[in-house]
Amino acid sequence: MNKSHDSAGASGCGSRPATSGLNILNQGTPCGGGGSCGGVSCGGQQRSKADSRRQFLSRATSMVFGSFALTLLPMEPSDSSAESPLPASPDGTAAAPTPAASAAKPVLYGFLVDTEKCIGSGKCLSACRTENHVPDGYSRTWVERYVHFKDGTVQVDLVPETGYHESKLPIVDAALVDKAYFVPKLCNQCVDAPCNQVCPVHASFTSPEGVELIDTDHCIGCGYCVQACPYGMRYINPETNSADKCTWCYHRITKNQEPACVEACPVGARIFGRLDDPDSELSKRLGATRTQVLKEHLGTHPKLHYVGLSKEVV
Amino acid sequence: MSGQFSLLRDTRHLQAVALGLIVLGGGLIAARSHLIPKSFGEHGPYRGDALREIAAQQPVLTSDTSCLKCHDSVHEERAESPHKDVACLHCHGNGHEHMAQAEKAAADPSVTIEKAKPWDKDFFTKLDLFITKDRATCLSCHEKVVGMPASFRIIDVKSHLADQGAENIDSADVCFECHTGHSPGI
Repeated sequence: MNKSHDSAGASGCGSRPATSGLNILNQGTPCGGGGSCGGVSCGGQQRSKADSRRQFLSRATSMVFGSFALTLLPMEPSDSSAESPLPASPDGTAAAPTPAASAAKPVLYGFLVDTEKCIGSGKCLSACRTENHVPDGYSRTWVERYVHFKDGTVQVDLVPETGYHESKLPIVDAALVDKAYFVPKLCNQCVDAPCNQVCPVHASFTSPEGVELIDTDHCIGCGYCVQACPYGMRYINPETNSADKCTWCYHRITKNQEPACVEACPVGARIFGRLDDPDSELSKRLGATRTQVLKEHLGTHPKLHYVGLSKEVV
Repeated sequence: MSGQFSLLRDTRHLQAVALGLIVLGGGLIAARSHLIPKSFGEHGPYRGDALREIAAQQPVLTSDTSCLKCHDSVHEERAESPHKDVACLHCHGNGHEHMAQAEKAAADPSVTIEKAKPWDKDFFTKLDLFITKDRATCLSCHEKVVGMPASFRIIDVKSHLADQGAENIDSADVCFECHTGHSPGI
């Protein structure tokens, strides 16, 4: 059945007469089945067969990858507006990529918390709840109080949302305290955010300004991101069944307002601003002060910086 | 394995496979274009509309600049005050409804702005404007709590009132006998 003209093309050692392709001298070895002609049974034509198989494999591979590439085509970004400082116009039309827009420096937001100023009034907490409709029992931001006692122990408690005035909390005896301070916590807006990386449906994303956001319509509520965040900032909102977190009040900062907690802080312990603007208060403070970030060893590169952290703070 | 080669007959098994692949591929492409939102990939691997939806949410808390547009005398009053950076809504509550009423009143003179209510000791949770002559307003920040920085003006109420020789120690507006909110004079 194998004539001197064997099909050495993509179909391998086919049984029908080849119309084109390479002329391979067939020695009459039993080489009938589709791709089953192994090098051993094909004896002398091993090298030619191997060549044709290589050719076949390379073509098949390029076809497979080519077809994959075709399906990926619609995913290519339609414009270069990733560099534009603000999302496209609110009427839904995407901003046209102008040379000026793409050449403009992208807006990059940052945050600084001065723990040496925080007085634990709890104003930021209720402001955040009101602004972002955070359900009871969940928090996008909180303030921890670290109390170092003279016997070497450290107590950590949470500042009540209504403040300490008229609260029913047990009063810490100041005579036993070595030092004590408040540490406000909020989303670190990491440059390498683990929460973003684990989202299986691209519902967790980074805005062009570097703010981690959640597409609540798309979120399936699997909770991977809740577990992935090393700072415990995320929760599943029981009203939307979607992951939720501090957005640095994205809806306010894109309107040139400060985040609610910054607006509410009476002592300026929370400073929000643009990192890309060297004249912003934030950039000046960051340049003039020695600051720290939380859990630096995890390599998440937070954009939330702290002044005056003690090593006990995690 | 004998007889004339016939393309239709001898490649039937391949035709079935090819047809299956075409149907499957077409189905996948159709499903994909149907399931992936139109704005996906606009700024990155996410729905571009989500960014606009979040940015389009309306702020709830009013900022000082909105308040000072009308109440500009307060700006001067606070110019030298240690309270100059304290937001209006701290003591007066969130003026969201007040702003809406003011805008209505500006457009229609027959509409009157509802008077501010006495403070209910509940910051930010009510969308009302408050008149705050209550010591709790002051003490929500100034009461002595372990953890406050030494640079902050901490008041130990009992000793402070005793030092100043205040008579109505228990009255709610005792602080306002000496201080004003906008410029407490300390």
